[in-house]
Amino acid sequence: MAQAKKKAAAKKPAASKTVTKATKKSVAKKPAAKKVVAKARKAPRTAVKKGASNKGPSNATLKSLHLKMLRIRRFEERAGKLMEDGKVPGALHLYVGQEAVASGVMQHLSNEDWITSTHRGHGHLVAKGGEFKPMFAELFGRSTGYCNGKGGSMHISNMDLGMLGANGIVGGGPPIAMGAAFSNQFKGNKNVSIAFFGDGASNEGSVHEAANMAALYKLPCVFVCENNGYGEYTPQSGHQAIVDVADRASGYGMPGVICDGMDVMAVYEAAGEAIERARSGGGPTLLECKTYRYYDHVGIRGMGLTYRTDEEVEAWKKKDAINSFEKRLIQLGVMSRKQLDDLDAKIGEELEEAIVYASDSPYPTPGQLLEDVYYVKGA
Amino acid sequence: MTVQTIGIVANPASGKDVRRLVARASVFDNREKCAIIRRALSGAINAGGYKFAFLDDSHNIAGGALLELGEDCDAERVPSLGTSSVLDTIQGARSLKEINPIATLILGGDGTSRAFVKGWRDSVLLPLSTGTNNVFPRMSEATVAGAALGVLAAGGVSLKEVAVPVKIIDVEIEGESPDLALIDAVVTRDKFIGSRALLDGDMINRILLTRAEPTAVGMTAVGGLIRPTPEDEDAGLHLTLGRTGKHQVHAPIAPGLYETLNVHKVEVTPFGKVIEFKGPCVLAFDGEREREIQAGQTVRMRVSRTGPSVLDIEKTMHLAASRKVFN
Amino acid sequence: MSEAKKPEPRVLPYVLAINEGIRTVLREQDDSFIAGEDVAAAGSVYGYCGGLLDEFGSRRVIDTPISEKGIMGLGVGASATGCRPIIDLMFMDFLGECMDEVANQMAKMRFMFGGKATLPVTVLTMGGAGGGMAAQHSQSLEAWLAHLPGMKVVMPSDAYDAKGMIISACRDDNPVFVVLNKQSLAMSMEVPEESYEVPIGEAIVRKQGTDLTIVAFGRMVHEALDAAEQLKEVGLNVEVIDARSVQPFDTATVVTSIKKTHRALIVHEAVKFGGIGGEITAQIQEEAFDYLDAPIMRVAAPFSPVPFSPALEKLYIPNAAGIVAKVKETLEL
Repeated sequence: MAQAKKKAAAKKPAASKTVTKATKKSVAKKPAAKKVVAKARKAPRTAVKKGASNKGPSNATLKSLHLKMLRIRRFEERAGKLMEDGKVPGALHLYVGQEAVASGVMQHLSNEDWITSTHRGHGHLVAKGGEFKPMFAELFGRSTGYCNGKGGSMHISNMDLGMLGANGIVGGGPPIAMGAAFSNQFKGNKNVSIAFFGDGASNEGSVHEAANMAALYKLPCVFVCENNGYGEYTPQSGHQAIVDVADRASGYGMPGVICDGMDVMAVYEAAGEAIERARSGGGPTLLECKTYRYYDHVGIRGMGLTYRTDEEVEAWKKKDAINSFEKRLIQLGVMSRKQLDDLDAKIGEELEEAIVYASDSPYPTPGQLLEDVYYVKGA
Repeated sequence: MTVQTIGIVANPASGKDVRRLVARASVFDNREKCAIIRRALSGAINAGGYKFAFLDDSHNIAGGALLELGEDCDAERVPSLGTSSVLDTIQGARSLKEINPIATLILGGDGTSRAFVKGWRDSVLLPLSTGTNNVFPRMSEATVAGAALGVLAAGGVSLKEVAVPVKIIDVEIEGESPDLALIDAVVTRDKFIGSRALLDGDMINRILLTRAEPTAVGMTAVGGLIRPTPEDEDAGLHLTLGRTGKHQVHAPIAPGLYETLNVHKVEVTPFGKVIEFKGPCVLAFDGEREREIQAGQTVRMRVSRTGPSVLDIEKTMHLAASRKVFN
Repeated sequence: MSEAKKPEPRVLPYVLAINEGIRTVLREQDDSFIAGEDVAAAGSVYGYCGGLLDEFGSRRVIDTPISEKGIMGLGVGASATGCRPIIDLMFMDFLGECMDEVANQMAKMRFMFGGKATLPVTVLTMGGAGGGMAAQHSQSLEAWLAHLPGMKVVMPSDAYDAKGMIISACRDDNPVFVVLNKQSLAMSMEVPEESYEVPIGEAIVRKQGTDLTIVAFGRMVHEALDAAEQLKEVGLNVEVIDARSVQPFDTATVVTSIKKTHRALIVHEAVKFGGIGGEITAQIQEEAFDYLDAPIMRVAAPFSPVPFSPALEKLYIPNAAGIVAKVKETLEL
């Protein structure tokens, strides 16, 4: 080896110091995040394993996961169509593409467990057990809707199902979910609450405060970030310098986990672990699900903006959660193609019935306008 | 001689899976990965290696580190497929092979090295760990690892002296593309790949190991606590699990997570010996569920020493010292 | 505290009346807790949570991080799911930090959910200038809150009302803001030891009169009463109404009074423009225009942020002298 080369090499580091200021990309500027290791606890065994030891999830569980996803997909497709046809007032933010997240998480919950949703909330409600008739009635603004037609798509909720509402405010849900988790801890029950939020909402101060308090009080709360790559029309690269929202978890002193949000079993397993941890007193988890919405921010085609390419959308559709899961269910002999088709048809009929029900339902009466602004004793 | 190129691959997805939760492992954030690469680059440059070819990634881990060095290095960017999946690493390895770096720094877990080898089998690697559940990557300070790469790239040592060929498991799957593993191939009763992690010892049917190390965690520890099989032994270890086992082994199947496994058969598998079985099952390689095998589908696995080579940091640096590379 | 059978009335300062109100609620309602910045170990920066931690423990008296969005979200989420939280918002000015949780979540959730959610949450907060706390720790922002359908807002002017209104608020199944006043903390009066309510939505006539009706909010009630005393000396007999509740507002009591006095003056510490006085003025002219013999007048803070300098702050806060002058102006004296 040439002596000269060695000398040159030795000089390199000194020179390298001077170029740091030339850094343009944000990457190098970011301070190294602190690493906070999750507090050591007695390892809770996996929720996934319990009850079905040695076998994994039962066929009934697999069918239930599939049913949730398919019901969401068909509901949203139909709702989107109704909106574009001008039959539903206002704006619908549709969940198509993200079904695996709501379904995989909700499979572990009962009606006593709380969730807060986002403004893309229909899917969460369907997965939590929402029925088509009162859901469509709500979207149509009818008095038979879950909220008597007074909440609409962005506030659809059902307290009996433990669904604390879709939320028109980005980042509105997590503080409420944290409060519900506090409530559960206060009462000493084993219920959990789940805060669904997006990559966009992850930049809201409310999410930060809720996460910090949940970790501080070790609340039975799971923060599920549905990272669909866009905050409205802005790609993630345009709204945060990180790609993995889960990286923020250690800053709160909670574990951060990433799973494939297009794979319902990946979500199911990861959420199972996080929820079991929360139930057993282990505190909150930040679970990031990498997913994608096939439709626009609003409606199906939305404003027709060209903020993403068709190729990108198609690439994600190749990973479609429902298609791949159905394929696997057939392989495993859990369901046949015929059974899947029959189920789909049945859901279709149920949807049409619900739409007729909703459009035939009465609007709220003028007298209902001032109802329920306040709680009135005996009213 | 001219200074050779050093390859760099940093996996943005490593250190973030569900094991963070169950196995009490920390989230390995990507700023830290960027810092590791930066330290490795510093080591390499100071040892005389300044030519790099890096696989681009969505998080700009390697790119960000190189950017800081500006004109001090000669860096070639290899575009990523951008699928945010294992395909990025596999394709990246193929692209890097065209450039032919003398050795490649792999920042990630066992799975990252495995993916790289799927794309470039006879590569020379220097795997660095980003987590806690790794066998293949070295636990080494990046600065020194980088220095070893630099010494090699600048000609201070030769590949013949410091690159050690490692064992590999080849997996043939009937009617499908073959696969491979560097440390372990595990057959489980799972039905899905799901969250990928292997967290339930009860689901495991059999384990084939290239090395069985009692000083490590994961599947290698299961074998290692029964019959240690070092990397330099020309054989693998095959464990068959069952409800009743001759050996009850209490092993850390993941960091911080001990389980008792019933191992009813332990066999040393000489090179070339084929382990054959049929589905349904799920195959996990190097700690991650990867392939869903259908009922009746045949799988064949065998251990050999036809894998990549790994750069021996210690040997490199001792040679560098004795040859006064840094004096 | 003393035994009940003591013959002389028990006198308590405002700050201890607040304490007793909270204490009463925590004793009566097992599903209540108080959460806020420095309420537990420090007993609140005003001292009104003193001793609560000792009596009720850390499960029910909870120190929070300085995170108003989080604290208010805790109140929303916990109340909607079966608890009856008391949330302490240290300074009213900090509403800016949590207005989404207050305005978009707390106030609206019941309506948005078609009446299926009930939020029995009480927020205690501290308003008012006079302590040299300058522009961000001295405001009177009750109009912000009163503008929100679904929200109740009360402003106890004295110790008796402070205790009774806290109890009423905590028994109410709606979100209620209890806007307290820092300059009133030491103000003492007779406060019963037992549990009692001061009804929300009912104003009270503090002083009968015939020549003009003063409607005052919070601490301004005392300035109005002082003014009324001074006006007596010039032969004027004004009526003073303590509004007590901003939302709902007791228009009826005010209108009844005006039908008697035919003149009205509204007094609040908040800035005049967009203050609650404008709303009251409008309501009076809608319901009692024919009874008015003079324009409805207002005494309120000038349209500026609360100044720091004691010289300016004194000028800024409405007082008895200003009220006397305005009454005379209204009566063209």
